[in-house]
Amino acid sequence: MSEIWLIIVLAGLLTYLTRIGGHLLIQVIGALPPRLEAALDAVPAAVLTTIFAPVMISGDWPERIALILCGLLAFRVPLIATVAIGAGFVALMRALL
Amino acid sequence: MHSDTKADTAATAALRDVVPIIAAIMPFGMVYGTVAAGSGLTLVQTLGFSASVYAGASQLAALQLMGIGAPIWSVLLTVFALNFRHVLYSASVGRHFRLFSRPAKALAFFLLVDPTFGAAEAKAARGELTERYYFVYALLLYIAWLIASGLGAIFGSFIEDPAVYGIDFVLPAYFLALVMTFRRRSNFWPVASASAGASIVIYTLVGPPWHVTLGALTGVAVAASMPVQRRSATGIDGSQPRGEEVP
Repeated sequence: MSEIWLIIVLAGLLTYLTRIGGHLLIQVIGALPPRLEAALDAVPAAVLTTIFAPVMISGDWPERIALILCGLLAFRVPLIATVAIGAGFVALMRALL
Repeated sequence: MHSDTKADTAATAALRDVVPIIAAIMPFGMVYGTVAAGSGLTLVQTLGFSASVYAGASQLAALQLMGIGAPIWSVLLTVFALNFRHVLYSASVGRHFRLFSRPAKALAFFLLVDPTFGAAEAKAARGELTERYYFVYALLLYIAWLIASGLGAIFGSFIEDPAVYGIDFVLPAYFLALVMTFRRRSNFWPVASASAGASIVIYTLVGPPWHVTLGALTGVAVAASMPVQRRSATGIDGSQPRGEEVP
């Protein structure tokens, strides 16, 4: 469990670095090049996608269907509702199957 | 007297601005706490993670990766990559911290999350961003995040089998919904499709945690190779965080 504390401390330090880093960086180099900025801008969507996409392979049919359902719901309902409906759907399917 | 009144006004304004945001982030903090408890973290560890990182999406991503037994370096790399957007916030909002003392500045950056960034930029655009306004807003949000995490952890510790309630599916559903909030960005669909395709292929051929590292790099490479859109000098248009509203 000490591994968790190591992650807690190091992840906290790295995150603080991102929070103060932009300010320090801009003082040194001025503005960021547009192409670098476009790449940095894409990082959250790129990383987050890789975390759920493999569920289409690793999950069973309830998870796969729920993932597609959530993808459609996300166009219409608030984030937290998508999460609640998705988890509820999976729980229901597991109870029935 | 006059300056007291002014400070009170700043505190009241901050309170008025932060209360709806607190209401909006409480459910996410509770989701994190519940998932953390389900992943075997103690209450103190759950709170410690919220206190040190204070960024919900990356905390949940770390739990997911720890859950599949990913090595520490890949957990840290993922947290760093997910929180990298703060570099852009920090570059922009730092200009409005000019009047803050050095320790206040250091603390101000620690508390910089998406809603705080949005509020600080909006306040600066309307006039002066004072220490009083910023810290009332940012500290209340931080405390609310800890309380929500703790409530979630306590709630989660009563759940014996998280799978029965679909709690293990909360993470994929959350990340999918969060990604969809970026869908209006110009390069969203090419980036997301490239990352999704690459992560599935790499997950199958190589396995975790490489599907995250290499899958994300594929998406970023697609973004970097596309025609560049014109933007303002810092890339920040001023008032709103780009993307999710979650810390």
